[in-house]
Order: sequence, then C-alpha cells, then structure tokens
Amino acid sequence: MELIDYLPIFILLIIAVLFVGGTILVSHMVGRRKYGKEKMSPYESGMIPVGDARRRFSVKFYVVAILFVIFDIEVVFMYPWAVIFKKLGVFGFVEMMIFIAILLVGFIYIWKKGALEWA
Amino acid sequence: MILDNIASLKYFYPEASLIGTVIVLIVLDLAFKGRRGKWQAWVALAGLAPALVFSIDLYAGGESGSLFTGMLALDSFAGFFRILFIGASALTVLISVISSDTSRGENQGEYYAFLLMITLGMFLLASSMDLLMIYLSLELVSITSYVLAGFLKGVRRSSEAALKYVIYGGVSSGIMIYGMSLLYGLAGSTNLMEIYKALSTASPSTEFALFVSILFVLAGFGYKIATVPFHMWTPDVYEGAPTPVTAFLSVGPKAAGFAVLIRFFYMAMAGPGPAEGLWAPVSDIGWPLLLGLLSAGTMTAGNLIAINQNNIKRLLAYSSIAHAGYILMGFVLLSAEGLKAMLFYLVVYLIMNIGAFLVVIIVANQLNSEEIEDYAGLGWRAPFLAVAMTVFLFSLTGIPPTAGFIGKFYLFAAIFSKDEFYWLAIVGILNSVVSLYYYARIIKAMFLVESSEQPRLKIPPLHTTLLSVLVVPTILFGIYWAPLAEFVARSLEFLASGF
Repeated sequence: MELIDYLPIFILLIIAVLFVGGTILVSHMVGRRKYGKEKMSPYESGMIPVGDARRRFSVKFYVVAILFVIFDIEVVFMYPWAVIFKKLGVFGFVEMMIFIAILLVGFIYIWKKGALEWA
Repeated sequence: MILDNIASLKYFYPEASLIGTVIVLIVLDLAFKGRRGKWQAWVALAGLAPALVFSIDLYAGGESGSLFTGMLALDSFAGFFRILFIGASALTVLISVISSDTSRGENQGEYYAFLLMITLGMFLLASSMDLLMIYLSLELVSITSYVLAGFLKGVRRSSEAALKYVIYGGVSSGIMIYGMSLLYGLAGSTNLMEIYKALSTASPSTEFALFVSILFVLAGFGYKIATVPFHMWTPDVYEGAPTPVTAFLSVGPKAAGFAVLIRFFYMAMAGPGPAEGLWAPVSDIGWPLLLGLLSAGTMTAGNLIAINQNNIKRLLAYSSIAHAGYILMGFVLLSAEGLKAMLFYLVVYLIMNIGAFLVVIIVANQLNSEEIEDYAGLGWRAPFLAVAMTVFLFSLTGIPPTAGFIGKFYLFAAIFSKDEFYWLAIVGILNSVVSLYYYARIIKAMFLVESSEQPRLKIPPLHTTLLSVLVVPTILFGIYWAPLAEFVARSLEFLASGF
C-alpha cells in the first residue's frame, strides 16, 4: 500500500467536513432566527425538563456499577464455557470452578464489607 | 519451546503464589476484622517468600521458552525482574510498617493486598510477549497504583493524586492501545515475534504507519517510566500519595515499564545485528534516535525543574524523572552492553531511592513535615539519619564510592562506545552536574544550617536497622560490584526474534 492509495479516504474526509461545515454556515447565514422559551429550553427526549442536570450523585452508584461490571463479565465468560462444556470435559469444569471460587471470595468480601448495602 | 496452558502451570508458581497470598490476605482480613497489630504486613511478607523461592528456582533452572501458547516469556530476563520486583515489594512492606501514612487506620489488609497485586502485574508485564498481555498487565499495574495513590481517603492531596493519575493513565493507555491496533493492522499478529517477522519483510512504504504506531505505543510505556512528554503526572502523584507508595512507584512500576519497553522494542522492533550482542532496527525508521531525544529531554527537564522544589517528595519525583532519562541512555544503543548498564542501574536505583524515601518517612514521622527547610540541623539532631541521607543523595548524584557511581559509570561507558550518541553522553554529564546542585541543597540544609537549639530526635532501633540494611549495599556495591554485574550479565538472555 502506497500513501497515495489512501487518497479516496482523504477525499471523503474533506467532503464530509465541507458538507457539515457548509450546512451549518448556510443555515447560519440564510436561516431566520426566532427565540422563545420553549426553543431555548434544553431538550430532554421530548419531556419537559425537570431541574438542573448538574446534580451530585451518591458515590454508591459507582460502587454498584463497578461491582456489576465484575459479575457481568463473569457471566460473559460462562456462556461460551457452557456451550462447549462437554468438549472441555473435566479440565474445563475444574478451571471454571477455580475461576468462580476466586470471584466468590471477592463477592463474600464486598458483602461483608457492606458494599452491597445502600444505607 | 512453546508450552500449552497445562504444561505452563509449573513455570507459573511465582505468580500463583502471589495470587494465593492476595486471596488469603483478603479472607484473613475479613475473619480477623478489627484486630490490632501489623499482622497483615507480615502475611504479605510471608507470601513474598515462596514467590522469591520459586523465582530463584526458575532463574537457576535457566530454562527458556514461551508459556501459555506464546503469551508469556520464560527466560532469565523475566527471572531477573521477578527477583527485583520482590525486593522492591518486600522493602515497601517494611517501610509501610514504619510510615505513619500507611500504618494507621483501617483497610490495612487491602493496602497489602493491592501492593501484592501490583507485584503480580509487574511480574506479568516483565514477561509478556504479546500485545494483549502487555496491555492487560500494564492495566493491572496501573489500576492498582491509582487505588494506592489515593489510599489516604481523608487527605485531599492524596485524592487529587489518585484522580490525576487516573486521568493521565487513562489517556495514555488509550493512545497506546490505538497504536497497538495499528501495529496489528501492519503485522497481522499480536505476538511480538510474529510482528518482527512480518515487519522485517514488509515493504518500505509502511514505514510511516509503523512510525505512528510506535509513537502511540510509546505514550503508554513513556507514561509508566515517566519520560518527558508524559511526565506531568509524576510530581503531583508522588507528592500526594502516601510516602511508601511513592517510593514503590518510583522503583517498581518504573522498572516494570523499562522491562516491557526493552522487550517490546528489542523483540518486535529489532533483530540480530552485525555482531554478537548487537541489535539492528527492523526498518529504517530511526526509533533509537527518537528515544535518544526523549532521553535527553527527560533528564534535562527533570533536573532543571528539580532545582526549584522545596518539598522533598516533589524534588525526588523530578529526580526520578531525570533518572528515567539516564537509564534510557542505555536503551538507545541496541547493544548488550547498554542493556546490562540499564539493568545494573535499575538495581542500584531501587536500593538508593527506597533508602532516600525511608529517610523522608522517618523525618515525616518525627517532624510531620516534608519541606526541605525543616531538614535544617538534622546533622546534629539525628546524625545517623543525616549521614544515611547523604550517602543516598551522593549515590543518586553518582559520586564515588557509592553504587550510583558504578551504575552511571556503566551507562556512560556503554554510550561512549557508540560514536553517534556522543552528544547524548555529553548531555548526560552536564545533567549530572546540575543534579549535584539540588541534591547538595538538602545536604547543606542538614549539616550547614544552624538549628535553633532543637532537641535530638529519638529514632526507634527498627528504623535504624532498616536504614543500615539499605546504606550498606549502597556503599558496598560502590566498592565491590562484581557479583551484581555478573548477575545482571547472566540475566540478559531473553527470547529474541531471529536468533
């Protein structure tokens, strides 16, 4: 591949930038502007906006999210394992049990540390 | 010799024993919740012992091959780093017990578990020979480091350090994995040896893409070893993190970064050279020159900014940036001599830098300060402490008869053997002169500034003992370094492409 072979991609890039920039520019120049209360309010998927978006979240959300990811991944690994379970035989079974046992220790740890309690 | 998963297990004992220790530590921490004492530290040390025994056993066995179907390398290079990392972790556990930053409060078990997890990550990093494995182990080291940097939850500085560390780390590892994806596109494989094979037969027109991907991958490695464009996080993180963690970050993950840098470039980006013990770059792109420039920039920036620091942890952070620059001097030569000098310096740097941080910890315990002006009169208030600090600082500068001098000597001897990098050697020498100035500032504060009739400090005997354990090798390796040099020379056998 020579660099020149990338020319079509480069041209596409320029066209894309020109198109987007051009549309914004043209609508800015010829479009009419009307401002009203409704138009200036933030768009919230069609709903009437309630309150400010910049609120403080409880840090507990993050803890729950992180814990969710860990056990979510565990299940992701278990699906393909279950599909070829018979092919893997005893070795696959033992290996999965070790994997689950390690995660189980982690689960008991967060449980006992109270990470699962909301209060 | 490429081993499959089952056959690899028996070469995986060092890592497995660390994993076991982490689990045991976590379970014991739950079972003996709230029990006082420092038992978690002793459990961690006890867990490092079998890892050390297995590592030495593997190293002495001298076998080589690749484990887990080409994911990890089994060679004496990885063995050397395993032993180095265990040394760094063991010393960190000991100084953590001493430090008032980390020896109080809850979550002691978690602290040591995280420390061992970083060690595990470093083990894997030093032996990975696949892009995926490199990325995975780099993240294992990074993410656990973020947590440890923010370990002092109530302290604002510590939280700030962790946040800055996360943001810088996230961005640079994102850039790195983009570079890796480009590299995969060029070579069609994630295995370093396969990448070398593909690149050595690639057409010259791919050079530009290769150059870009190397630059991007360097962002990730450069962030771990704190070279110049990626060094910004270092001072803030080093200042904010608990001091034992700072000491550990400056020697452990940094050495791991160098290990993976060497393995990546010498395996995938270079092949057999004109003679024994020499490498040649895989294509005409001048990555040795690029890294030479990074090296010069890194040491100059580190040393010049260090001059103005008043906080000793910040000063040592800039000094550690400068040292990354010195060590990189050995990297650009593409010779066994250069690598030998790098590994030698990493060992020496481990001892003297942990020593310097230990003094900082002991002083902070007593005076609750990390400002250099508070070191005034330390020569009278705690003579042994001040003398030990002087030894470490002389060694960091590279003044004989300390280990630092021998380390620098090897680096400069290696670089003077290659004509095209004379300029880098000159930059290095000038930088060493600059570094003397700011190290000497601390010594001046300790010995030449009158202290206003302050009482002598009472240093517990355990602290003095640990200090001596670090002072002795700093001087000893400056006088009799042959065993260490032989150990390093033996460790240079690593799996390489094309040989």
